[in-house]
Amino acid sequence: MEQKLIDFITEEFLSDDDDPITTQTKLISSGLIDSFSLVSLQTFIAKEFGKKIPAPKITAQSFDTVAQMMEIIDQF
Amino acid sequence: MSYNQNLKDKYCDILNNLKSSGLFKQERLITGPQDAVINVEFPIGTPEMQVINMCANNYLGLSSHPDIIQAAHRGLDEWGYGMSSVRFICGTQSLHKELEKVVTEFLGTEDTILFSSCFDANGAIFEAILDEHDIMISDRLVHASIVDGMRLAKAQHDTYKHSDMAHLRKKLEQHKDYPRKLIITDGVFSMDGDVAKLDEIVALAEEFDAMVFVDDSHASGFMGKTGRGTHELCNVMGKIDIISTTFGKALGGASGGCISGRAELVEMLRQKGRPYLFSNTLASVITAATLEVFRILNKSTERRDKLEQNTIYWRKGLSELGFVLKEGDSPIVPVMLFNAKLAQEISYDLYQEGVYAIGFFFPVVAQGQARIRTQLSAAHSTAQLDKALLAFKKVGKKHGILGLSKEQLIEKYGL
Repeated sequence: MEQKLIDFITEEFLSDDDDPITTQTKLISSGLIDSFSLVSLQTFIAKEFGKKIPAPKITAQSFDTVAQMMEIIDQF
Repeated sequence: MSYNQNLKDKYCDILNNLKSSGLFKQERLITGPQDAVINVEFPIGTPEMQVINMCANNYLGLSSHPDIIQAAHRGLDEWGYGMSSVRFICGTQSLHKELEKVVTEFLGTEDTILFSSCFDANGAIFEAILDEHDIMISDRLVHASIVDGMRLAKAQHDTYKHSDMAHLRKKLEQHKDYPRKLIITDGVFSMDGDVAKLDEIVALAEEFDAMVFVDDSHASGFMGKTGRGTHELCNVMGKIDIISTTFGKALGGASGGCISGRAELVEMLRQKGRPYLFSNTLASVITAATLEVFRILNKSTERRDKLEQNTIYWRKGLSELGFVLKEGDSPIVPVMLFNAKLAQEISYDLYQEGVYAIGFFFPVVAQGQARIRTQLSAAHSTAQLDKALLAFKKVGKKHGILGLSKEQLIEKYGL
């Protein structure tokens, strides 16, 4: 799951100038992913892992790093 | 629960946080009509300044045009002030139907429905025409009203990288099994001033059996040879299924908007569009004035031609001074500074020099993409543009940024 999320985020949201991300890289609060584009991440998670994460769970505080995302995905 | 001290403190904390993080918005007080030159108090209560207005959406200079003002007066006299009803009860005048017909003819579509704002139009459309089995695929830089409209809809949602057609293709392939697919884009993107690649989007839509939605609020009335919008500019007239646009920018600038497009989709809005069903439509006085706007536009392309000339003149002037500009053909000309503090300082200095242009920075634009957004109007005279260019030169010189490349600007001021 970790690598799939990192690969998806890298391809969807990062530019060539950006440093590679880790499970601890801040993604939303740093501006790498804007709140609107999160919907694509939500769609990916639903399709790839069969988990539908409700929008209120996807915030800059609780969904900011790949590590946090994995924790939330595991709850569903 | 009453509005007690705890609640009051909570809201004060939120507002104070906005202030301390530089996100608190302050209004500028304009003490007369909207125009190319305006009198402004900023901050409110300080001495009034006369400034050249480089930040209005008054692209065609019609906001205070005497013919429009007269038409509004006539509208008020002949049609009254308010309707006190939604459209389908007793809020539809023949005037509203006339404007819908005129807009349909102007945009080259099949039918049109008015809304009291384009924000409402965009809030209505997706929910009315799609359900949970369908998918919306939108450009990542679409306007906030579209974002909100999509959030109201039950349809699934995905995004593609800004104007990246290879990425859009990938998304269409990925979602090809959805029965109804809607590609969603702005015609002109308001922060960068670039135009959507509508010819390529339409080709992809045809290949994947998708519908196309375009918000042409920053284009209707002036983009394209006769000002029909980006669908005219990109040679796809008649191929855009849904166009939303506003009367609150180039088309008189008061308020109101519409959805124009396929007859059945417009009819769906009359049956199911919640802002249409549950709020009054465009006030008669604005409807009458907007009809006059279209009379002016149908008579001559003079105003959009002047706007085009002004845009070319302004771009050339700023480039020759050595500013870094975002490429584009629209009258939105962003002067790139990359650093947020620098953008704010330059905006302030320009104001002191008699030019009103606003700095935009994160989170309104992406991190490290701070800029001064300038917007041209057909109402700007060459003398006014020359004066504004002189101010840009003086301020640019003060900050030592004239002739610096993007890399040099970032090296000097950081991101």
